[in-house]
Formats: sequence, structure tokens, C-alpha cells
Amino acid sequence: MFPEPFSPKLSRRNILRTAAQGFGAVALEHLLHRDMLAAARVNPLAAKPAHLPAKAKSVIFLFMVGAPSQIDIYDPKPALKKFAGQKLPESYGKVSSQFTQGDTPLLPSPWEFKQHGQSGLPVSSLMPHTARFVDDICFVRSFYTESVVHAPAMYQVHSGRILPGFPSMGSWVTYGLGSESENLPAYVVMPQPEGTPEGGTPCWSAGFLPAVYQGTLLRSGANPILHLKPPEGMTPARQRKALDLLQQWNEIDTEPDDSEMAARISAYELAFRMQSHAPEAVDLTSESEATKKLYGLDQAKTRDFGTRCLLARRMVERGVRFVQLYSGGGPVSIQWDAHSHLVDNHEKMCSLTDQPVAALLQDLKSRGLLDSTLVIWGSEFGRLPMSQGGNGRDHNPHGYTMWFAGGGVKGGQAIGETDELGVRAVGERYHMRDFHATMLRLLGLEQTKLWYLHNGRNEKLTDFGGKVIEKVIA
Amino acid sequence: MVIRQISKRYYAGALLITAGVLFAGTDRPVDKEESLVASRRGYWAFKTPVRPATPAVNSDWARTPIDAFILSALEAKKLAPSPAAGRAQLLRRVTLDLTGLPPTPEEVAAFLRDNSADAYEKVVDRLLASSHYGERWALRWLDVVRYADTNGFETDAVRPQAWRYRDYVTHAFNNDKPYDRFLREQIAGDELWSGDREAVIASGFNRLGPAHIVGGVQDQELNRQEQLTEMAGAIGPVYLGLTVGCARCHNHKFDPILQADYYRLQAIYAGTQFKEIEIATPDQKLAYEQAKKAYEASLKPLKDQIAAIEAPFREALRKEKTARLDPKLRAALEIPKEQRNAEQKLLAKDAEDQVKSTWDEVLAAMPPAERDRRAVIRKQFVALELTAPDPSPAAYAVANMEKEVPPTHILQVGDYKHKLGVVEPGFLKVLVHNDTAVPAAAAGRRSSLANWLADPRHPLTARVMVNRIWQFRMGTGLVATPNDFGVLGQRPTNQKLLDWLAVEFVEKGWSVKTMDRMIVLSSVYRQGTHGNAASAQIDPDNKLYWRMNRRRLEGEIIRDNVLAVAGTLNPKQGGKPVFVPIEKEVYDLIFSEGEPDNLWPVTPDPAEHTRRSLYLLNKRSVRLPLLANFDQPDTMTSCPVRPVSTHSLQSLSLFNSDFMNRQAEAFAARLRRESGGNASRQVRRAFQLSLARDPSPAELKLAKSFLLHAPLSDFCLTLLNRNEFVYVP
Repeated sequence: MFPEPFSPKLSRRNILRTAAQGFGAVALEHLLHRDMLAAARVNPLAAKPAHLPAKAKSVIFLFMVGAPSQIDIYDPKPALKKFAGQKLPESYGKVSSQFTQGDTPLLPSPWEFKQHGQSGLPVSSLMPHTARFVDDICFVRSFYTESVVHAPAMYQVHSGRILPGFPSMGSWVTYGLGSESENLPAYVVMPQPEGTPEGGTPCWSAGFLPAVYQGTLLRSGANPILHLKPPEGMTPARQRKALDLLQQWNEIDTEPDDSEMAARISAYELAFRMQSHAPEAVDLTSESEATKKLYGLDQAKTRDFGTRCLLARRMVERGVRFVQLYSGGGPVSIQWDAHSHLVDNHEKMCSLTDQPVAALLQDLKSRGLLDSTLVIWGSEFGRLPMSQGGNGRDHNPHGYTMWFAGGGVKGGQAIGETDELGVRAVGERYHMRDFHATMLRLLGLEQTKLWYLHNGRNEKLTDFGGKVIEKVIA
Repeated sequence: MVIRQISKRYYAGALLITAGVLFAGTDRPVDKEESLVASRRGYWAFKTPVRPATPAVNSDWARTPIDAFILSALEAKKLAPSPAAGRAQLLRRVTLDLTGLPPTPEEVAAFLRDNSADAYEKVVDRLLASSHYGERWALRWLDVVRYADTNGFETDAVRPQAWRYRDYVTHAFNNDKPYDRFLREQIAGDELWSGDREAVIASGFNRLGPAHIVGGVQDQELNRQEQLTEMAGAIGPVYLGLTVGCARCHNHKFDPILQADYYRLQAIYAGTQFKEIEIATPDQKLAYEQAKKAYEASLKPLKDQIAAIEAPFREALRKEKTARLDPKLRAALEIPKEQRNAEQKLLAKDAEDQVKSTWDEVLAAMPPAERDRRAVIRKQFVALELTAPDPSPAAYAVANMEKEVPPTHILQVGDYKHKLGVVEPGFLKVLVHNDTAVPAAAAGRRSSLANWLADPRHPLTARVMVNRIWQFRMGTGLVATPNDFGVLGQRPTNQKLLDWLAVEFVEKGWSVKTMDRMIVLSSVYRQGTHGNAASAQIDPDNKLYWRMNRRRLEGEIIRDNVLAVAGTLNPKQGGKPVFVPIEKEVYDLIFSEGEPDNLWPVTPDPAEHTRRSLYLLNKRSVRLPLLANFDQPDTMTSCPVRPVSTHSLQSLSLFNSDFMNRQAEAFAARLRRESGGNASRQVRRAFQLSLARDPSPAELKLAKSFLLHAPLSDFCLTLLNRNEFVYVP
């Protein structure tokens, strides 16, 4: 924080009043400087200290919409071969899903698994690029969730409840930690261009938290944020002039110690700064050819998701607190929801994302950002080992894999397991609230200290409280 | 918000109460629970309010009993009220508060000219009689009851008849429907006044919550539990001001609300089902049937043309996929349907699934020329879809089941798979003002709940509503947590005033307008909003109302004011919700696995696009950015107090959006129309229209020097963004 050059009581208001009375033009730079000083006092997104010391400062959550099949990617089930075409043994009990009732034949994974890295962790041939980073990754193979239906399960992984209307992870984190960025939104969201995930905007909404904590949609191109640019015809000079007049009105309306009015003044200045900073933040022309190639921007397949991964790195580099990134959304053909044609679907979806995800890890690492960035890969649930429609798989909320890497994470390990056929998590099972408690802890946030009073309850991301998965933490 | 310290006594009570959870339904712990509940009946909010004596205050300031209560509380803390607001400011405040629209310059001038003693009373009575009064109230009430026009969740379909409930609410406030009647119509209008169209529409209240409607294997019992949770769950926050919902999984941790109480309340709804109740006349029905037939017939040729263009590609895809089928599946598919055995039927079903193509696969398989040809027809098809006739009028309502009402079980941790004992329908055991029994039949259960709540002796009903009225007008409630009068909620800052208002409310026939009038005529309401360092030291949160609270306008009301000031507001009231044009970025947020056209059928008549925000389609999963950025609630749960956050996305939508810039241009055109080409006159008129006052000489000078080098519309845009414009003074 800068020292204050003079008493805040000697306000801009007086300076402006003088100006308004005709004593000459206002020095804009001076005003801007004062704004930066005032920002911390009136900015609800000013960075706040964590509850506990922590390595991770920001989060990139890579969300695979529609549910990848864990038993075909990260959680090998060799025993399935033995049972191919047979029904699930009765000892497993009844397993209902959204479309099937557990009585369809078991389908072994069509892909080969190999061990990788020093840790020797298995990854299937679907993810050759990510496989190179297993020593940085901590897989948790025993997550479970409560709904077999996409939207409620998405709400649960994003906000802790199977209902919409609760603040999303990113909202809680920005509510708890504020933002390191002066010029960009604290929490950005990048959905699949073809369409939104099934859960829609409640996945990144602030729920009952103030709107300032909502996720902001970010796109590449000249207009990365909605309403960032004035309509055509309004030149920057003209806009600045109008903004100056507005700020003069607002100064007149603002008593020296009126932080609510001052917050509006700062918000307009930040909006104006965002107009130049956001397009710069999403402008990839300054990236080297090697970097672009790394993310696969030179290939049609990987260009889209690669761009979003590269944008994610640029965001955390610029102090954005939480980046929510989606692969999949809209039409079935661009989701991971392989109810039929598992092979076509997963080969396609993995080929769109594998190289960009690996590039993100490598790039963060080489820039020294991986230590302070928590990267999470996951989805709303996994898929069943039984087939659907002969060559697909239905939803499996009973046991599935997500992984953590980066800030404070102990890589090169797999925690928890599912049963022999990959139907359910067994032993150390982890609920979504455990997932959230762990994510918060990695950021130095205590789940019980992060609450907001709503309709008579101290609402928390983890509601009744989750177990921090201690083994994840380095 | 700071939570009040909870005394050890309550914690001890909480522990004892929760200890009984697993034994609910057996004898001894239940007795214990009930005696614990009985021991907590002394809590202030569980006792029927008694009218306190109006404090004697020796001051001309106190115009009304309200003022006497406030002044005496202020004096006890050595505080004094603030000077009254200026007359123009007061007029702007009361007009925004009672109608949500700004006063016209002519109204301001007339008020400033009127030197009669009752000039302000006359204005208040004019505003209370305005039909915009009900619109203003409806916006607030709809927050509390979590009204939306769609179901929520992934499909988020429109509820095409729900708007009738919204209009019902507007009318109810405009007609000053007694609140006890308003409440009873909403909970049980279909039972109590089945022949009264309004009352039946009102019962739609019971199904305003989000509803999860999705395909696949259905768990009927789970679906029913979700409905019951939404129906019964609304009673606590909306009418009781108690967090009854907390007792769904366990006895309430802080308030004496048993888990059994929650399920007794749920049992009241056990015989209630969602129903569209027909209210169409035979002519309307016939007209609809004919219009629907004509509409479908008009779509058919286009549908057929599209199908014809797609057919060869669909067929080719099917062939290609059939060729790739597992031989066993292909063989099964080749067997004629009627000759397939059981196993072959299963295989053929799988095969059918595998050879199907989605719309985007078909499009991808087409050469560009064909795709373009299809696009032309599809565009016509989509345009035609906009002419779909409105459904025949029906009430979005509830009705009682004809079959026997299923029993209601207490559910362990709210899980329907873990049923505990059976409970009969009934009310919270802690409230004993009325011991009416609830009938065993479906019919009458909700009526008894409604009558139990509307009983003048009910300790909470009137208090909760007068607190909302007070909160609406004063900015904060006397109980700052309007949906929670329990132990975890805030204590009333002036319980005597709250109780006095509650008794007065009931005695004045539950008239909301009477209470509104009393509040806005009080000296408390007429104070200025300026801070005062000495008072702020004693009461920083203004809990005792030593000044008026400055309040930010809701996003909806900001938009309404922009339209009113620009002269573009279409004042038409009621009717089906309007789809305003939205940005592509917002459109893209609508989830669809199908072809993403016509997901937001913009209302064709542009005059509809400038109607009040109350009438804009409120879609749960896709919010309008201007409104959402200003903390519009998400309608998933009851919202008693909107948060007020300030951030840059607000600035961006208010300064840069097409909507705002178009309105600024309309505002400028209006100024030119009404004030000619003279800059001083334009500026003066602009201030009068937007801020209900003249510019100061300094402001006029600033504006005029700005206008030397910038267009009038830019100046207009600055006024519409100004702090003073978005706050109630």
C-alpha cells in the first residue's frame, strides 16, 4: 500500500468543486492516482489475507462437461476384461443410472493403459500428453456425488449442493481472498463456444452472495467481456470525456467519508482500465510461436481449447483469482457424455483437450507459476463400466476420478480407489464437500471461517463440513 | 452482517433438542422434545404482540405515533433526528418509493408551488392511488416468494401461465387487498374460493419454486419429495419469518422447531398437486384450438421441406453407421421387427441407438449449398414459430388429489429412503395461539394452515409483514433479518414500534396501504439522509433511524427510470412476459442440445421492449446482465433483502451497453423536442427529468462547457449513470 500523500478528508470533491467553479482543468493523472489509493478502501475485491499460509494463490478449474469415463482414462480396471459381455455380478447390488438400470453387459475399456513417469502411475492411451505430467498430478480416484443427472451433479461440484442457487466455488474463493488484479475481473469463466454446460449459468453464479462475486464470462477477441466496449461510433476520446464528466457529477454527490459512493467512482475507473487491459490480456499475438505450438494453436483440433488454456495462464499471470474453464457444452456431439459411441466420443474429446492441458501444466511450470496455481481437472461424475446401447456408458456418480496439480499439491500419487470393476468408490471415499474443503485448504482458506448469512443460516461451501484430503497436500 | 451473540442457554437447549433426533417417533424423547419446546414459548416472537402505549414525547417533531416511538428510542441514546429532507428531494423519494418511477418536472413544480398544509399528504394519496404502486410492491413481493417465469435447472422451460400470478400480486396491492385475505388466497385460494378466478390464480404461490424436470429413469418418490420441499419450504421464510426448513434434516439447532414440526407442515401439502386449472371461456378455448391447428398447418410445409433436404444425408449417415455396427447388432436390426425374439429386440434397440444421428451431425454431413438452402427455410420456420398462439388461459395453480392422501413420514436427514415415524398434518408446536385441528382429508389442510396464519392472534404473521413494509420504505427492517425472527436472526431494534405496527396493521383490517401511508407521512421517513459524525459514533448502522437511509435503486427500477426519463417507457400493465432483445453472449448461455435457434423468441413488437422491468421474462438460468449486475436475486430461494454490491460490470453495462446508449439518445432527442436548441434549457430540463431538481450554477457551467465539444446524448448518458440518479435520496 502506498502512503497517503495527504489527508483523505481533503477530498477530490473539493478539488473538483473548485474546478467546477472555473479555476481551470482538473489534472486527470492526479485524479487517477488518487483513485488507486482510494481503491483499496472502497474496492470489495481488494486482496484479503488467507486464514492459513498457503502456496496456491489462484485456481484453474478444467471442467469436462458431460463426464469423462474414469475407467477409460485414469482408473484402469483390468478385471473388466474377464467379465466382458456379462452382467454385473449380483454381489454389486442394484446400480441405477439416468437411463440404465444396471442390467446391461459390462464393457471393458477399449484402450490400453501404460505406466508413466517416476511414479509409474497408469494413464490410458487417450491422454498421451497429460501422461507425461503424472509426477506433478495427484489423482483422487474415489470421489462420489449425489445425483445421476448432469445439472444437479454440476451444481454439486460447483457449489456443494445438488440445487442451483448456491454460490459457486469461484465466488466463495473471491469472496474469501479478493483479487490480485487491479484491471481484470477476479473470477473469469470460459465456456465451450458451441454452448453452455448443462447446468448453465448457476455453475458460476454468486448465488445469494453479492453480484460482485459472480463469474465473468471471458472470450478471446476484441470484446472479451460483455459491454466492455462502447457501441460503435463512440471514440475512446469521446468516452473518456463523458466519463470525466460523470466522475465530476459523482464527486459532487460524494461526501468525503462516503465509501459507498466512492466505490462507484472507483468502479467506473476500473471499468475504464479494464477496457484497455482486458483486450491486452486476451491478445495472444505477443505469445511466441513455440508457446502457441505447445498449446496446439497451430492445429484445428486443439486450437479452441488450447486458446482457452493459454488464456487461463495469462489470466493467473495477471492476478486473476479463479479461472473456470469448460471443455464441452451445447450439442451432444461436443460433450463428454458418451451414452453411445464411447470410442468416437472419447477419442475426439481427449484429442481436443489432452495436449492443451499438458501444455498448460508445462507452461505454468516453466514460468514458475505452477507453484502458486492450483490446477484441477474434473467433471460432474464419471461413467459406469456397464454398457449403454451396446457401445456407450451411462453416468456414474458412485466413484470417479478428478485430479489436482500445482500449488501445494503432492504430485505423483493416486489417492483412493474404486472397486474391482469401477462401479463404486471403496475405502477412503470422498464426497464433493471433501473436494471443496481440500481446494479451500490449498488456498489457505478454512471452510468454517468462510461463511455468509443467508435466510437465517451461516451458509458455507461445504455446508456440514468436509474432510480435507490431507494426502493431497505436499 | 454481524450475528448476535447466542447465549449459552440456547446452545444448551440446542444440544438437548438435537439429541432427540434419532428417536423422533418414539415416546419418551418426543415428550422431552415437547417440554423443551414448551419451555421456549416465552421468546418474544412467539408471543402475540400487545399494543404498547405510545411514548409521550415533548416535541413538535413527532407527527405520528411512529415518530413518538422512534424519538423516544433516539432520546434514550442521546440522539436527535436529522433535519427534514428538502421538498423536491422528498417528492423524488416518495415517488420512487411508491411507484418506482421518477416524478415529472410538472409534478415537482406543482408540489413546490403548493403551500397548503396538506400538500405532501395530497401527493402521497395520489401516489397510493396510482396503478404503479402495485407494480412497485410486486417487484418486492416476487423477490420474497422467489417468482420466475421458468422452471430452472437445465431445461428451464417457460411456465406459460405463471405471469397471471404476477399480475394477481400487482392487483392485490393496487386494490389494497387485506393481507390476511392475500395470504389465505395464496396458500389455499383453490380450496377456500374455488369459484373465484383470482383466488385460484393466487394458489400458484405454492408452486413458484424451481422444478427439476428431466428425462430418463424417474424416481417418482424423489420427485415428489422435491415438490413437497419447495411447497412447504416457502411457508417459513415468506409468512412465518422462521427458518423452518432447517428442521427438515434435524431438530432446529437454535429455534424450538422440531423435525416433526417440519414434517407436520409438509403433511399439510401431502394431498396437494400441481395443476393448470382452466379459466378459459368456451369461446377462448375454441379460438385457441383453431389458432393452434392453423399454426401447426402453417409450420408443416416448412418442416417437410427441411426433412426432405436432410433425408439423403440422414440416410447416408444411417448407412454408414449401420455398416460400422457390431455384426450381431446389424443382424438383429436386419430382422423384421415383428420376427425378433427377446434378445434380438434388445440388440436391435441398441443398434437403433447407434445408427441415429443428431442435428449437428446431419448439418456437418451436408455440402455448403444444401446447408444454405436449409438455412433459408429454417429461418422462415423460426420466424413462423414466433406466431405461435398463446395457450388457452389457465391458472398456474394447485389442486387437491382425489385419491387418499399418502401418509407423511419424518425422514432421517431429509432422505426419503430413510423413513421414521408417521406424522399427522399440523402446526409448529411452539405456537399455541390457535388449536384448530387439521382435517385428515386432502381438502381443507391448506385452508387450516392459511387460517392458522391469518389468525389475528398469530404472534408472527402481522409482525413479519409490517416489518417488510417498514423495510421497504425505510431501507432496513426493524428486524434486520426479515425472513428470520428466530434466535439466529437479528433482534428488533425497536420492538415496541414493531409490536405497535403489528397490532395497528391487524386493527386497520390488514391494510398495507394504510401502513404505507402512515410510514411515508411520518417525520422519520421525511428526514434527510446526510450523515452526522456525532450520531454515527453512537449508532453507526442507523439502527434507531436518526437519519433516513439512502437506498440504491434495484436494477429493475434503474431500468424503469432510464426509460421514463428518456420518454420511451411503455406504461402498459400486465400480460405475458416480454422477451427483450439480448446480446449474443447472453443468448449463448441458454443451454440446448438441440439446434440453438429460437431459444429466446424476442417479442416481435418493439414497443413491448420498453415496458417496465417487472414484465420482462424472468428466466432462472439466464439473467439479464444489467439486472443481474445490480444484485437481482436468482429466484432459487426467498430473497428478503437484496445485497447491494458495487463493481465494474455495473459500470460497463450502465455506460456501454447498446440499451443505455440508445436510451441516452432518446433522452437527448426528447430534450431537443421539449427544450429546443438552447443548451441551458436542455441541461435544466435534463436535470429536472432525471433528478427532479434544477442544476446548480456550477453544474450548469460544467454541463455547458462539456456540450461545447460533445454531443447531447453523451451528457444524457452521464446523468443516467450518476450516483444521484441510481439512489433514492
